[in-house]
Amino acid sequence: MRISAALTLALSVSALHAGFFQSDDKVSNVKCVYSGTEGHCVEPVLKSGKELVITVLGQGVAPSVTASPAQAYALAKRAAIADGYRQIAERVRGVQVEGQDSIKNMMLQQSSTRTSVEAVVRGANVMNTTFKEGLCEVEMEIALSYTQFAQ
Amino acid sequence: MRSRNGNRPILYAICAVTSAFSLLADDYLIGYRLTTRNAQSIQESLDISKAMMPCPQKHRSPLTLKRDNNESIETLLIRDRTAFIEYASSQVMQLKSDQTIVGTNIKSLQILTLPTRCYAVEFNDDFVTISLLE
Repeated sequence: MRISAALTLALSVSALHAGFFQSDDKVSNVKCVYSGTEGHCVEPVLKSGKELVITVLGQGVAPSVTASPAQAYALAKRAAIADGYRQIAERVRGVQVEGQDSIKNMMLQQSSTRTSVEAVVRGANVMNTTFKEGLCEVEMEIALSYTQFAQ
Repeated sequence: MRSRNGNRPILYAICAVTSAFSLLADDYLIGYRLTTRNAQSIQESLDISKAMMPCPQKHRSPLTLKRDNNESIETLLIRDRTAFIEYASSQVMQLKSDQTIVGTNIKSLQILTLPTRCYAVEFNDDFVTISLLE
């Protein structure tokens, strides 16, 4: 009897050591996303089972010469949607920035900055539209889930 | 609970409706491109063509548009372009954006492209249903 109890205890200790009876907290630990060269552990923004909703406000202006108010509204809305897509792409994918400064005789002659983004956006929706004094604003939303990126 | 034979007419009716829908609907290739400069639309083009190759047969939820006097799909989509773009853009949209800041002068250019895809268009007397095919 004593031998079997000792054997059970020894097996339990070895099993614990091997990690068979790990607590749920350890199993559900998320993988770290390492950013840059510093190697700090950064938790991923998207977590399984949770949706990340990004909301942006796109703005568009009606052209000064249009055939009708309806056309002005339609064109301003399209420009606003394009702006909304740009903002979504910039927030999800990131933006590429290039800067150039020209210096002559120790004085800044010209400074220019160029930002660009190129992306394919899937599943963005227009939630709300307002049009006031030639300015159209559209509220756009995109829901990101872990499963979309886990493949 | 009906017998197996009793259910046959219902099954035949479902098959007939499904096959009629697939036979009546025409497949079209539709693409769209919008260029905006400094937050103003400067150019947009909607390209419509009848599909010359078989399209996929999986229908997405359809968009219904009002049709007047036997309008063609081209006329109808030009009139109701906004509704169609909102329907189609909820799937996939390609974006290319450039913004240049020189001193206090800001210039932006965005090109929004709806990739050319297959749509099943079913014409009725006073309405048209358009479904994306995948």
